[in-house]
Amino acid sequence: MEFLDVLLQQIINGVSLGAMYALLALGFTMVYGIIELINFAHFNVFMVGSFVALWVFEAMGFSGQSQVLYGLPLIGVLLVGLVVVMLATGFLGAAIERVALRPLRGFPGTAPMITTIGVSYILFNIILLTMGASTLNYANPMPNIRWEIGDATLRLREVLLWVVSFALMLGLHYFVRYTKMGKAMQATAQDQEAARMMGVDVDRVVITAFFLGSALAGAAGMIFGLYYNYTSFIIGYTAGLRAFTAAVLGGIGNIPGAMLGGILIGLIESLGGQYLEVRWTDVIIFSILVLVLVFRPAGLFGRMAPSKS
Amino acid sequence: MSQNRFVRGGLKTAAVLGVAALAGVVGFGTAHAQKTVKVGISLPLTGADAEDAVHIRNGATMAFDEVNAAGGAGGYKIEYWVLDSGTASAGQYDPAQAATNAKKFVGDSAVVGAIGPVMSGEGKAMTPILSEANLATITPSSTNPDITDPKFAGQFKPKGKAIYFRTVTTDAFQGPNMANWMHDKLKIKTVFVLDDSGAYGVGIADSFQKQAEKIGIKILGRDQLNPKEADYTTVLTKIKALKPEALYYGGVGQAGVKLAKQAYDVIPGMIKAGGDGMQGTSILKGVGFPAIEGWYCTNASPHVTEDPGTADWVKRYKAKFAGAVYDDYTITSYDAALAMADAIKRVAATGATPNRDNVRDALQQTKLKTLQGEVSFDANGDILQKVVSVYQYHENKAKPADDMDAQVPYIGVAPEVPQT
Repeated sequence: MEFLDVLLQQIINGVSLGAMYALLALGFTMVYGIIELINFAHFNVFMVGSFVALWVFEAMGFSGQSQVLYGLPLIGVLLVGLVVVMLATGFLGAAIERVALRPLRGFPGTAPMITTIGVSYILFNIILLTMGASTLNYANPMPNIRWEIGDATLRLREVLLWVVSFALMLGLHYFVRYTKMGKAMQATAQDQEAARMMGVDVDRVVITAFFLGSALAGAAGMIFGLYYNYTSFIIGYTAGLRAFTAAVLGGIGNIPGAMLGGILIGLIESLGGQYLEVRWTDVIIFSILVLVLVFRPAGLFGRMAPSKS
Repeated sequence: MSQNRFVRGGLKTAAVLGVAALAGVVGFGTAHAQKTVKVGISLPLTGADAEDAVHIRNGATMAFDEVNAAGGAGGYKIEYWVLDSGTASAGQYDPAQAATNAKKFVGDSAVVGAIGPVMSGEGKAMTPILSEANLATITPSSTNPDITDPKFAGQFKPKGKAIYFRTVTTDAFQGPNMANWMHDKLKIKTVFVLDDSGAYGVGIADSFQKQAEKIGIKILGRDQLNPKEADYTTVLTKIKALKPEALYYGGVGQAGVKLAKQAYDVIPGMIKAGGDGMQGTSILKGVGFPAIEGWYCTNASPHVTEDPGTADWVKRYKAKFAGAVYDDYTITSYDAALAMADAIKRVAATGATPNRDNVRDALQQTKLKTLQGEVSFDANGDILQKVVSVYQYHENKAKPADDMDAQVPYIGVAPEVPQT
């Protein structure tokens, strides 16, 4: 492989990774932007999403990678999977907010954050106990279509990942900017009290943010399974931590920042691995994070947090 | 003289009869409360290593159950105490949990010996604790040589006596012998080496790399995987660009499963090999065919599951654990438990009550015929046999999908010195 082929391949790898981190980072950033809470349960909502998608595909009669579909049937199956997973994880996220976090609203300090860690462990252990500890082979209806660009390879899986991620991110961006609920979110993010006085139903805004963020995490979970052909109860940890870093890097609370932060982390990971060594990946990523936080505490693209007066 | 001899012989007979009668009486008296000793078993039953840990556990418990059914080890019933050394947060074996288990064994004075651990990373965490208590363990599968190397005695056996015995050989042989085999049989000239950052993985990759360099195989690169990472396409792309003839991976399943899946995508044509960490049902099921097809792997023990001498054992195993799988490390675990029972029996035969000190000393003197051949240990606790077996994943649709002998057929012995 020539230098340029390698570079192109690593950019393809990096953008794919980054798109997944970005989808996951959006959920962190939305919730933080609105109620200034770091939701650690998000890691494992993503993980649950990958299992829900596996169950959906298995229920449709797929197992392993032996039966593949093409064209419209493939798009149909993937859409059904996506909708079911996003609804399931969306409601899971909303339920977490309603049951475990709303009663703690207004509590000072870290109590709600610690609660999300607890919820995260509950999800983790439920899946561990019901699905077992081994790495599971994924039921995957996608054919292994690949295009060679020089010595670099682009696979259908990468295209799917990009299309789904960017469509969802655009959809979210549109939702927040132009719909009534989106505007209510922005208002709540700026000043919860003022928004409430102007007639915004803050509880509804918060639960909607949880629903949307978790639905995106579920979508990321399904894409993860299709992309890597496996899932396990432990996948939330590394992906979640990277996504959280992406959200902070982009400026936590800032939706376009989270997307760009995700892509950036993905590219750092793949190019760092190529031109330095893979064993340094975490060192590189977290060094950059520390540097950014030292010199630009609000993240690369600025923070969008509740303003304190 | 002849009369004397007669008298002496008679006395002897009388003595034997007397002892037998006494033993009979004692046996009668304690029939309801047979004397027992405890043996701890610590293995990673949670996480990526769980499936293999289960059949390794089966091997040990089967041996103890059989010894107990036959009247115990020298009259002592062996009560085994199984602890899980895998944790959810590690997602695989957890050295900290293994150390906690070792402390639990040490804390119970009825525990006279242990079986385990499965992984070398656990062994490194357990040995200082076991050494303090002079509590000997026999590992059926951990192969990192440092643990028993006298050079590191201060770290792994601070009390001085060998407490870490093995029924497998070490990576001082497993890695280098595989380098020789790849040199001889596959005519490999260039290789890229990966490890999974665990104690076992780094050690076997190092020893493989050292021997490969020595016999003229060029190392095109060496890197390390984070086992919790999902994505290895970056390093695989790098390997693809370097075009080595083979990839050698030192490590266990958590990283290995993902590596094999993604390697099938990125470098499908390249020769791929690993150590005993890539040999097992966790790998077979987790990766699946066709991605695992063609991978070479090794075990640090002779291949005996298909021996005629093992046929009866296989029958008993299948009867006891319906549907369970087994491989050569089920055998080494069975052998480890037999060696432990044998040591307890020899202590009991001297009339002493088995305790940690005398069981350890007896283990050191082990000379026991087992399924894999004669088991004896050197002064460091390492087994005297040094056989490394090579296997290759090759799908056999006619046989059950989890039949290790069929799906991961044995293909030969990796030599200690290159043959060509």
